[in-house]
Amino acid sequence: MADFDVIVVGSGMSGGWVAKEMCERGMKTLVLERGKDIDPAEDYSDMLDPWDKKFLDRVSPDEAARDYARQKDVYVFFESTKHLWVKDSDHPYETAEGTDYEWYRGYHVGGRSLLWARMSYRFSDHDFNANKVDGVGVDWPIRYADLKPWYDKVEKFAGVSGNNDDLGQLPNGVFLPPFELDCAAKELQAKIAENFDDRQLIAGRVANLSRTTPEQEALGRGPCQARYHCFRGCSYGAYFSSNSATLPAARQTGNLTLKPDSIVHSVIYDPKAKRATGVRVIDRLTKEMRIYTAKVVFLNASAINTAAILLQSANEDIPNGLANSSDQVGRNLMDHVAGARASAIVDGLDDRYVYGRYPGQGYIPRYRNYPDYDQDYKRGFAFQVYTGRGSWTGNRLGVGEQFKADNRKPGPWTVTLDAYAEVLPNPNNRITLSTTQKDKWGIPLPVMDARMGPNEWALLRAASKDAEDILTKGGFSNISMSEVQPTKPGNRIHEMGTARMGRDPKTSVLNKWNQAWDVENIFITDGAAMTSSAIQNPSITYMALSARAAHHAADLIEQGVL
Amino acid sequence: MDKLMMQRRDAIKSLLAISAASALAACTGKTEGGEAKPAASASLKYASEGNFLNAYEMALVAALAQTIIPKTDTAGAIEAGVPAAIQGLASEWGDDNFRKYTRAGLLALDKYFKSVGGQAFADQSEKQRESLLSKYDADVFGGKVKDDFYRNFKSTVATAYYMSEPGASEELIYEAVPGDWKGCVPFSEIGRTWAT
Repeated sequence: MADFDVIVVGSGMSGGWVAKEMCERGMKTLVLERGKDIDPAEDYSDMLDPWDKKFLDRVSPDEAARDYARQKDVYVFFESTKHLWVKDSDHPYETAEGTDYEWYRGYHVGGRSLLWARMSYRFSDHDFNANKVDGVGVDWPIRYADLKPWYDKVEKFAGVSGNNDDLGQLPNGVFLPPFELDCAAKELQAKIAENFDDRQLIAGRVANLSRTTPEQEALGRGPCQARYHCFRGCSYGAYFSSNSATLPAARQTGNLTLKPDSIVHSVIYDPKAKRATGVRVIDRLTKEMRIYTAKVVFLNASAINTAAILLQSANEDIPNGLANSSDQVGRNLMDHVAGARASAIVDGLDDRYVYGRYPGQGYIPRYRNYPDYDQDYKRGFAFQVYTGRGSWTGNRLGVGEQFKADNRKPGPWTVTLDAYAEVLPNPNNRITLSTTQKDKWGIPLPVMDARMGPNEWALLRAASKDAEDILTKGGFSNISMSEVQPTKPGNRIHEMGTARMGRDPKTSVLNKWNQAWDVENIFITDGAAMTSSAIQNPSITYMALSARAAHHAADLIEQGVL
Repeated sequence: MDKLMMQRRDAIKSLLAISAASALAACTGKTEGGEAKPAASASLKYASEGNFLNAYEMALVAALAQTIIPKTDTAGAIEAGVPAAIQGLASEWGDDNFRKYTRAGLLALDKYFKSVGGQAFADQSEKQRESLLSKYDADVFGGKVKDDFYRNFKSTVATAYYMSEPGASEELIYEAVPGDWKGCVPFSEIGRTWAT
């Protein structure tokens, strides 16, 4: 008799959803989290005023270099938030020669759902068709219609604020009222509408509650207070995280067991039954090894760790790793790619300002290679649009009363278009396990071997040109262009693809239910499952896949199949 | 929550106490125990337990900071605790490189202002400080003089000031919990730059 109906490895964005759905279906569910538990009173820094922040909220150079050699470059890495990012010194990884990989992580209950940028855009059929159309990668085994009801479900529960913009490439959803674009974004929106038929600026769809539903209130969630402390954790529960939403919902059922400090070493596999029987867990603090058993195992450890667990589960019966008869586990590692930016000043708005701090941003959805494939590169790009009015700065001429007076007046309005482009699935971009190096828990280090390729370069070059064109035609002043330079793999913190879904067990790891072809009681619904990256920020898709797969697995458990 | 507020108030009080001491040092260039001297070189010697910058250096820090951000109808840098924040960075936060860089940068400024002003910057009149620093600042920002230390120092002074309670909530405007987001309102309704 198994200890649990379901084991969920990972408590982040996708694991939280599996836990919620399984618990609500009456399944005894064990969630294993490798990191520490989170206590909002202790770990959230959203109640600090600026003057309460130690050392101007900067992490000391010694400590940053010693413990956070990678994480220190994250855009929300501060003295008061550093504990939400891993110490690289405790969690090293390797990169193949001639490559680099930026792996940004938070190991704690809730994982990166506590830290994400909250942009929530559905994939469209244009995205689900992409691999099939141009023959790169394998065909997704699902289409938009398969996922639509699940997108509806997760948006309604999570709370996504935005507009239904009626765009084929970016389907409508179940949205709370949008957060208003600021003056500069509205100006850009109007100029784009004036000058282009094929593209538009929309209000970002963001998982912050512009308003609450009774369901959200019952979980203790309140509306967004426009503080923009999201990356600090939110005491109001006003943005979606496992901590604010899915785990509390799971807990309410009485079916949840959550064990922090539990590092999954491997999945236990019964070669005769071709089933997983449970997992081996190392206690993070005592290093003691424990075993938990369950009818079904969900891997939601994030794309790299999920693949690493499968590879680490190899034994003489399955020398290539678990669920890996296709040899696709660890391959097709994707991210998104940025690295083409254009900025400009927006004149004529000096008498306008904002109240509060915008939790979102503008968005220009993909328009190239849509609706037709007519470019000499594959796929497309979108623009994240950052707008705002300049703040105080010490980096300006003058001292004394004049300096104070100058800073009392806000700076110019600016707009920045930041290209976000699709990364192609490439089997040579992969993670493997180190044959020589282990972490302090005795687990082999992941080795990343990934590069941006010619198509990613081509997309960014095209995006750079387009961004300049948009700003020039809009009549904006002081246009400045970044040099086109693709971000390193991992930089966008959207690692995906290492156990992809597909239609054929020979070329994919998971079937259309996110179920491992080789081991029918293993499901994977984190970024590893992604067959292509599209352009959209992926979390809402992980959530929809997770809810869908959880219900399928629950059906199979109830039917006695699993 | 009440306890947090109390701790916050206490912290501010102690910060003000420190900055008052710095202000005193800035006025006299002296410290308890006699005449203060500049450190002989950019060595990493701590002035006293927990304090890297000595009284002479702190007097210069305070004088520079207060000249960049003087007291007007709102607090100046000293009243806002900027010198103490800079001492904290140098003493507790920075690594040896940062400490070396800070001391060397301050000594270079000290030397320069002595040479053009005839005496230590902290000992000069307010008027002379403003005139000499304005000129130097214009040279740096106009590209005539390259001094990255000064730029960084000024930037840190501004950050420490505008993150302080008087800098954020009196000189500028600060709302811990706006409650609502409005993307396009008349500037006159807000009146000044948001602190954050």
